[in-house]
Amino acid sequence: MSLKRFFTKGSIHFLIVIYIVFLLFPLVWVVSSSLKSTPEIYSGTPTILPQQITFEHYLSVIEGQQVFLTMWNSLIVGIISTILVLLIAVPSAYAMVRYKSIINTGILGWILVSQIFPVILVMIPLYVLLRYIGLTDSLVGLTLIYVVWSLPFVLWMMHGYVKSIPIELEEAAVIDGATRTEVIFKVIMPLLLPAIGASALFSFISAWNEFFFAFVLMKSPALATLQVELARYTGMEGQARTGPLAAASVIATIPSIILFVFMRKWLTTGLVSGALKG
Amino acid sequence: MKRNLIILFFLIAVIAAIYFFTQGKSEQKAQALRFVSLAWQERSIATNLSIVNEWNEQHPEKQVEYIQGTWNSAHDYLITAFETGDVPDIFHYESSVIIDYAMRGYLTDLSPYIKPEIKNDILDVAWSTVTRPNGEVNGIPFLIESLVVLYNKSLFEKAGIVPPTIENPWSWNDLRQAAISLTKDTSGDKIIDQYGAGIGLRNSANIIMNTSISFGGSFFSKEDNHFVVHVKEEEKKLLHTIVDMIYQDKSVAPASIGESGAGMIPGFFSGKYAMLVGIGSWARQQLVENAPKDFQWGVMPPLKAKTQMYGVSTQTLSIPKKSKRVSEAMEFIEFMLNSKNMARLALDDWMIPTRKSCLQMSEFQDTIGNWDITCSAVNTLGVGSWLGAPGYVEWKSRVANPVLQELFAGRISVDEAAERIENESNIVLSRYRKRGEVW
Amino acid sequence: MDLFKKKRHTIYSKKEIGQIQLLFPVILLVSVFSLLPLLRGIYLGFTDYRLGDPITFNGLDNYIQLFNDEYFWSSFKIGMIWTLVVTALQVSLGLGLALLLNNKIKFVAFYTVLILIPWATPPIIRGILWRQMYEPNAGAVNILLNDFGLISTPINWLTNFEYVIPAVIVAGVWGEISKAAIFILAGLQTISNDLYEASKIDGAGLWDQFWHITLPVLKPVLAAIISLTFMWNFNTFGIIWVLTQGGPGGMTRLPMLAAYEEGFRYGYIGYAAAIGNVMVIILSVILFMYIHVQLRERKEL
Repeated sequence: MSLKRFFTKGSIHFLIVIYIVFLLFPLVWVVSSSLKSTPEIYSGTPTILPQQITFEHYLSVIEGQQVFLTMWNSLIVGIISTILVLLIAVPSAYAMVRYKSIINTGILGWILVSQIFPVILVMIPLYVLLRYIGLTDSLVGLTLIYVVWSLPFVLWMMHGYVKSIPIELEEAAVIDGATRTEVIFKVIMPLLLPAIGASALFSFISAWNEFFFAFVLMKSPALATLQVELARYTGMEGQARTGPLAAASVIATIPSIILFVFMRKWLTTGLVSGALKG
Repeated sequence: MKRNLIILFFLIAVIAAIYFFTQGKSEQKAQALRFVSLAWQERSIATNLSIVNEWNEQHPEKQVEYIQGTWNSAHDYLITAFETGDVPDIFHYESSVIIDYAMRGYLTDLSPYIKPEIKNDILDVAWSTVTRPNGEVNGIPFLIESLVVLYNKSLFEKAGIVPPTIENPWSWNDLRQAAISLTKDTSGDKIIDQYGAGIGLRNSANIIMNTSISFGGSFFSKEDNHFVVHVKEEEKKLLHTIVDMIYQDKSVAPASIGESGAGMIPGFFSGKYAMLVGIGSWARQQLVENAPKDFQWGVMPPLKAKTQMYGVSTQTLSIPKKSKRVSEAMEFIEFMLNSKNMARLALDDWMIPTRKSCLQMSEFQDTIGNWDITCSAVNTLGVGSWLGAPGYVEWKSRVANPVLQELFAGRISVDEAAERIENESNIVLSRYRKRGEVW
Repeated sequence: MDLFKKKRHTIYSKKEIGQIQLLFPVILLVSVFSLLPLLRGIYLGFTDYRLGDPITFNGLDNYIQLFNDEYFWSSFKIGMIWTLVVTALQVSLGLGLALLLNNKIKFVAFYTVLILIPWATPPIIRGILWRQMYEPNAGAVNILLNDFGLISTPINWLTNFEYVIPAVIVAGVWGEISKAAIFILAGLQTISNDLYEASKIDGAGLWDQFWHITLPVLKPVLAAIISLTFMWNFNTFGIIWVLTQGGPGGMTRLPMLAAYEEGFRYGYIGYAAAIGNVMVIILSVILFMYIHVQLRERKEL
C-alpha cells in the first residue's frame, strides 16, 4: 500500500471514528451513570467510567415493576399491531397493483397526504371518536391507531414489491388450480419476505417508540406504554433520580437495539428498494 | 372463499378477544373505589398505602384501589377522565387547580357531606381555599403547602450569624445582609464557591404569588366583579428584591435561575449555598433522608416584608361529579383524614396538617426536623387575592412563569416585566371572562 | 394488470375474492380512523370548541386571533428554525458519514452496526439521554467543557435562554444522522465503481467525481430524504417535551407543543385545531414548492 493510500485510508477511519464517538458517547455516558452509585453521580468530579460499579439502580427499576408493566404493554401493542398491519397490507397491496381503479388512486393519495398532516389535527377527533366507542384508555384502541398509523408506509413498500412480481407466476399458479387467496398467500407472500421483514420491523419499532398518541390516550398509569412511563420521570419533584432513570432507559432501549442490529440488512434493502421501486 | 372467511373470523376473534380481555379488567376495577394519589416521597407513599390497606381490611365490601399518579400528568389525566366519564372516585390534588375544575362543573359539591366534627377541626384558612362564595366545597384540604427558608447551621455558626427565631423573625433586608456575608471564595481561586442563597426560580410563579401577600400587593384585584392584574409598587418591590439579590448583591447562586426547588437541594447539601429560599416544607424529608452525615440545618420563620403573611394553598381530596359512589367515597375520605391518619400523612410528607387537633400534637411541636418553626407559619397564612380567578392556572403557566423566567435571567427589567405581565394577563383573563365562569 | 380488468373471468372465476373484499379492511380502517377524524379535525379548526362546551362555528375568528397571537408566531418561528437547521445538519452530516463509509476499508460492517444504535433509541430515550448529558452539575457536557478549560461555571443548557436552542438542536440532530447516512449509503452503493474508475482515467479529482457522478445519482434519494425529514422535524414533539417542555419562557415551544398545550392543557380544542390547519397549509406550500423545483429539474435532465 502506498503512503498516500495509507494516509487516505487512515484519515477515513479517523473521521468515521469521530462520528462514532459523537454518536455513541451519550449512550456510553448513560450506561455508565446507570452503573454508578448516586453519590458518585453527584460528586463534584465524576469520570466517564464508573469508579465503582453498582447494580442498585437496575434492581430498583426491576423491583419497581412499573417499568416492566409498561414494557409489557408496549410489547403487546407492538406485536399485535404489526401482525394486523401485515395481514391487512399484503392482500391490499396486491389488490392495489392488480386493479386499476379510483379506490387505488384514493389510497395512494391518502398515503402521501397522511404524511403531511400533523398528528394534532387527527388526535382531537380521534380522541372524541374513541371515547364514543369506549376505547380511550384502552390498549385495543391504541393498537388500532397504530395499525392505521403504520399502514401508509407498509402499503407503500408492499405495493412497490408486488409490482415487481411478474404476472406470469400467477398465471402459472392458476393454471395449476390455485384460487386467488392461495395465490396471494402461497405465491406472492413468500416472494415478499424481505419487504415483510422490513415492514414488520418498521411497524413494531414505530409502535414501540411512539409517544404522542399513547401520551394523550392512555391516561391510566397502569396502561401507559413504556415511552409514556419514562417521560413521566422527567421534571418530577424528586429530581435526584438520575441513576434509576438511566437504568430504566438502558433497559428500555435494549429491545430496540437488538431488533435493529438483527434486521439491519432489511433496513437498507427493504426500505430503499421499496422507495425506489415505488 | 372459505379461506378468507376463516381469515376474517380469525381477525375478528383476535380483536374481540383483546377487547373483551381489557374490558374485563376494567369491569373488575369498577367494583372498587378508585383513589388516585399523587404522593411521591417514599414514606408518604407507604403511609397512603397502609391507610388504604387498613380501610380495605375493615370494609371488605367497599374496597379501595390505590392508583399512583404523578404531579406532572395529573391534570391531563383528570381532564381526560372528566370528559370520558371514566373517573376515579377520589383524587388527590391541589386547591388552586381544582377551583378550575369546580367552575367547569366537574366536581361534586361536598358541603352536604361534611360532618361538623371535621368542619370545626380544619383551619378556617384551609377551608377558604376550597369553598366557593356560594358555599360549595370542592375538596377536603388536608395538607398545607408552605414555603420555607432552609439554612445551613454550621455555615451560619462559622460566619457568626444569629439565625432568626419565631419571636425575632428576619426581614428581607436581614436576609440580604446575611446572604452577602455568606458569599465567599473559600478556596482562594478567585471564584466564588459559596453563595449566600439559592432560590429555585425555574417556575417561580408560586413563590412570587405566595410571597407577594407579605409585600402588600398580590397582582390580582377585583374590578366590577371580575379579576384584573396590576403590577404596582408593592409587587415591583418584591420583584426588585429578588432581582437585586441576584444582580446587585450577587449573593444568589447563578444555578438558581434555571432550577426547580428540588433541583437545588444537592447544592445545598454540598455547601454551595448557605440558604435555600422559597422551597416547600416537604423538602425537609429530603434533608432528613439524603443529607450527608453531620449536616446541620434549620428552618426560618416566615420572612417579614410589610407583614409576615404568606399565601396558602392546600392539598385536597375531591370527588368528581361523575363518580357513582359519592357517599362511599366520602366515607373513605373521612377515614383517611381523621385526626390520627392526617397526622401520619402530614408527618410522612413533611407538610403541615390542616386539623387543629393535629397541630396540637407533640410531633408537630418538635424541634427535631424543625416542626415547631414550620408549623408556626400557620398563624400568618392568608388567602391570596387571586383565589377564584378564572384562568389562574393558565395564567401561571402562560404569563407569569415565562415572564418571570426572563426577568430573573436578566433579560428584561422589572418595569418591562411589569408591563408585560399586565398586558398579557388581561388577554388571558378576558378569554375566561367571555365564558362567564364564576367562582 | 389489464389482464384482470378486461378478462376478469378468464384466470379467476367470479367466485374468487375480488378487489373490494381485499381492500375492505383498509378502506374501513382508513376511513374511520384516519380520513373522517382528519376531516373532522379540519372542521374543528373553524369552531370555538372547548372541551365540555357545545360546538359553535365561528368562521375565521380563530385565524384572526392566531394572526395576532404572539404565542403562535413565536412558536412558528422556532418551528422553522428548528426544522431548517436540524434537517440541513442531519442530511449533510449523514451525507458525510455515508461518503466515508462507502469505501473499501476494513471494519465497515462493524462501523455500520455501531451507528445503528442512536437510530435505534426511541425519541423519548434520546431526550432522556441528552437531558442527562446537559445536567448542569452532573452532566457530561459541562464536565468535559470544564476539563478542557472552556467554562468555569456550569451552564444550565436547557434553561438558559441563550444556549437552549443550540443545545436542543444538537440533541435533535444526533439521533437522525445515522438514518440519513444509511439511506444515502444505500443510494451510493448503486453507483457502480466503474464510473469512478473511468472518470479517474479522464483525470477527474475527488470533487469532480462527487459533483458529476455521485450527486446526480443521489439527487432523488436526497430529495426524498430531505422532504420526509423536513415534515417529520416540523412535527417533532416527544424529544422536546422531555428536554424542555417548551421552555424556558417558550423558547423551544415547537408548533406541535403549542397546539398540544392549547388543546389538551388549556382546553381550547378549536384553537388548537386551527393551529394544526395552519401548520398543514404552511407545510404543504413549502413541500409543493420544493417538489415543483425537483420535478422541473428532472424534466430538464
